Amino acid sequence: MIELFRRLLRTRQGAIAIILLLVIVIACVAGPFVAPHDPDAISFLGRFHPPDAQYWLGADELGRDVFSRLLIGAGRTVPIALMATLLGTLSGAVIGTLSAYLGGRWDEAIMRTIDAVMAIPGLLLALLIVNTLGKGEFNAMMAIAVAFVPGMARITRSVALVARRQDYVGAAIARGESSAWIVLREMLPNVAAPVVIETTIRVAFAVMLFATLSFLGLGAQPPASDWGLMVADGRRYLHQAPWMIIGAGVAIALTAISFNLLGDGLRDALNPRDER
Amino acid sequence: MTPVLQVDGYTLDYATRAGAVHVLDDVSLAIAKGEVLGLVGESGSGKTSLAWAITRALPGNAHEAQGTICLSGEDLRGVSTTRLAAIRGRHIGMVFQDPSTSLNPTLTLGRQVGEVLQRHRGLTRAQAEQETIALLRHVELRDPEALLHRYPHEASGGEKQRVVIATAFACRPELIIFDEPTTALDVITGARILDLFQRLRAETHVAALYISHDLALVSRVADRVAVLERGRIVEEARATDVFRAPTHPYTRRLVQAVPRPDRRLVFDTPQETTVLSGRGLGVRYGRARLFGRTHVTGASGISLDVRAGEILGVVGESGSGKSTLARALTGLAPFQGEITFRGRTIAAPRAMDRAYRGAVQIVFQHPDSSLNPRHRIGETLSRPLRLFGAQDKVADLLEQVRLPASYADRYPHQLSGGEKQRVAIARAFAARPALVICDEITAALDVSVQAAVIELLLTLRQLHGTAYLFITHDINLVRQIAHRLAVMRHGALVDLLPIEALSGPDTHPYTRALLAASPTPVGLEGIT
Repeated sequence: MIELFRRLLRTRQGAIAIILLLVIVIACVAGPFVAPHDPDAISFLGRFHPPDAQYWLGADELGRDVFSRLLIGAGRTVPIALMATLLGTLSGAVIGTLSAYLGGRWDEAIMRTIDAVMAIPGLLLALLIVNTLGKGEFNAMMAIAVAFVPGMARITRSVALVARRQDYVGAAIARGESSAWIVLREMLPNVAAPVVIETTIRVAFAVMLFATLSFLGLGAQPPASDWGLMVADGRRYLHQAPWMIIGAGVAIALTAISFNLLGDGLRDALNPRDER
Repeated sequence: MTPVLQVDGYTLDYATRAGAVHVLDDVSLAIAKGEVLGLVGESGSGKTSLAWAITRALPGNAHEAQGTICLSGEDLRGVSTTRLAAIRGRHIGMVFQDPSTSLNPTLTLGRQVGEVLQRHRGLTRAQAEQETIALLRHVELRDPEALLHRYPHEASGGEKQRVVIATAFACRPELIIFDEPTTALDVITGARILDLFQRLRAETHVAALYISHDLALVSRVADRVAVLERGRIVEEARATDVFRAPTHPYTRRLVQAVPRPDRRLVFDTPQETTVLSGRGLGVRYGRARLFGRTHVTGASGISLDVRAGEILGVVGESGSGKSTLARALTGLAPFQGEITFRGRTIAAPRAMDRAYRGAVQIVFQHPDSSLNPRHRIGETLSRPLRLFGAQDKVADLLEQVRLPASYADRYPHQLSGGEKQRVAIARAFAARPALVICDEITAALDVSVQAAVIELLLTLRQLHGTAYLFITHDINLVRQIAHRLAVMRHGALVDLLPIEALSGPDTHPYTRALLAASPTPVGLEGIT
């Protein structure tokens, strides 16, 4: 684990990603304590206040400090995106590995179902699910997780098919291990590398998907300081106060970029053949 | 006269993160026109690195410390890329180990041979085609006109290797490098390729560097043999002398380890009781789709008995159904027919209970893939102990296969190939089995390691009275240890006879062909 971290730091993308992620983690954990203003404090005089020494990133239409709201929002947006991704990719990975392990008709049945679900675009699927389950952060999280399952299952299955042919799986079957053990303990750890990389890249998608859902009014509800919601609010005052949309937009972009870079770095660090 | 290839004091390092790794150390050799130099060494000794250095295809992290490599007096280390492109193929030919990966699967065979002729001999397309047909006919390929338009996957392994050889000889190069050209082929095909090589070299007087791990094979092919140990040439001698009078201790060890059919390692006779018997065993491979399924027959109608404490050898070329038989007996493939084990009849993998699975164990060919790379050795070994409720501890198992107990904390990639195979054997013996199926367990190992593993197997057998189903393609090896021999071909059993009857008159013609294709090493007849 430590060795992996060291290798990750040696790649340029990995090092940048770690620094950016550290900033994001600090914002998530320490945000409420270091925020210069109360994120929900309305100030009539501060309406559309441009960025200056008092309001670092300006203020919104109700005179709330954008920077403080971003810090508070980080603690909600990023963990939800992470949770949704982990939930989605993990279930996708288990389904994909199971499908590869079972093979034959089971494999066909599972994969054709997955294909059918994949035919629906992710955002549309998430919209459908949120509409059925009802608005709210938790439901949005579940919707994103479900939208991620099919793609992840496909990726994992292709790697797991290779692992399935390895003799250690044969050895496990020959000594009469249970299917659960073979899938979870023998195969899953060996398909982990591509899954981990794909997960990091998907976190960025999840941030954007969650922001989109919030933007459409289906995720976080006002007055929550979710980043997507802030972009949605800022849109109306784009000409009057562009800093509202810029602050939240840059925060989303940075998070997406840092997870993407982490994915790139991990791909190099997890490749055991790269010993040079 | 200058030799065709002269390597002088050549030293090569690879720069890795852990520091420089010395691959070749002060290697000097010379090959004259018409001469074949055999280069023998175990894996990791630097054989292939030397081939790369001569063809100037070294990886980016290679560092050539000193020495020269001269082809007909021209130092290859200094030549430009364009000159190099002219030398490769024209002056140096190359034949690799695996013909299925050294040919491009998306080009027809005719294109791949013709390209060399067009490029280096300046022939037009039509001329090249005529010449290609002549070349393919020359390497004894049937119907070369049809072969021209076939893709690599439409030809057999032997045919492909002949095409590769034809390409290597196409421009009449001064030097051809053979890197284990028969290792990926089965015994009979390999023997025919060697005959072809002997004929071509007599005709063309080409100089050849013949790289192999198989000392017995090289001593038959080459004029002189150089033995490479960890990057150093420790002995260079005439091929006939290497076996008869090895001077260096390392060579002596290699010669000792070469399996010799005349030197039996097993002297007892098995008991009369039958451990396991198969009746009419067959396996059909096929993929069940949602609608319908397709079939390929892997093996059919195999009937055999294994007695308690017996070593039953199973030989046959690749694709003959040896491993399929192993997969059926361990329930890895659904089978037809029935298996009788301790008076119980089993007709499907589902019927194999814990007692059967514990008593019939398997050791696979590649220890790299049979040990889960993400599990520590301790975990790998503790699973069967828990499943079969054995009293042993992991440390006992490791001690049984002569590995230190501290290895329990290691991962498979921290072990050498031989050590990994010992772990796989320890895992098989955890359940105190009555029968262990050894599926080509020494094929991926060096010959000295192979000898040690075989010795370990025989010791374990003496200790526990285990029977072995020993699957191999190495007839010399199996003749040393087996009580009876089963010969398989095209998924069927063609011969099943006691080892003493092997030289008798009642053997199947195919068995005789197999025997003829794996002769005893030269120079061995006189010594003991």
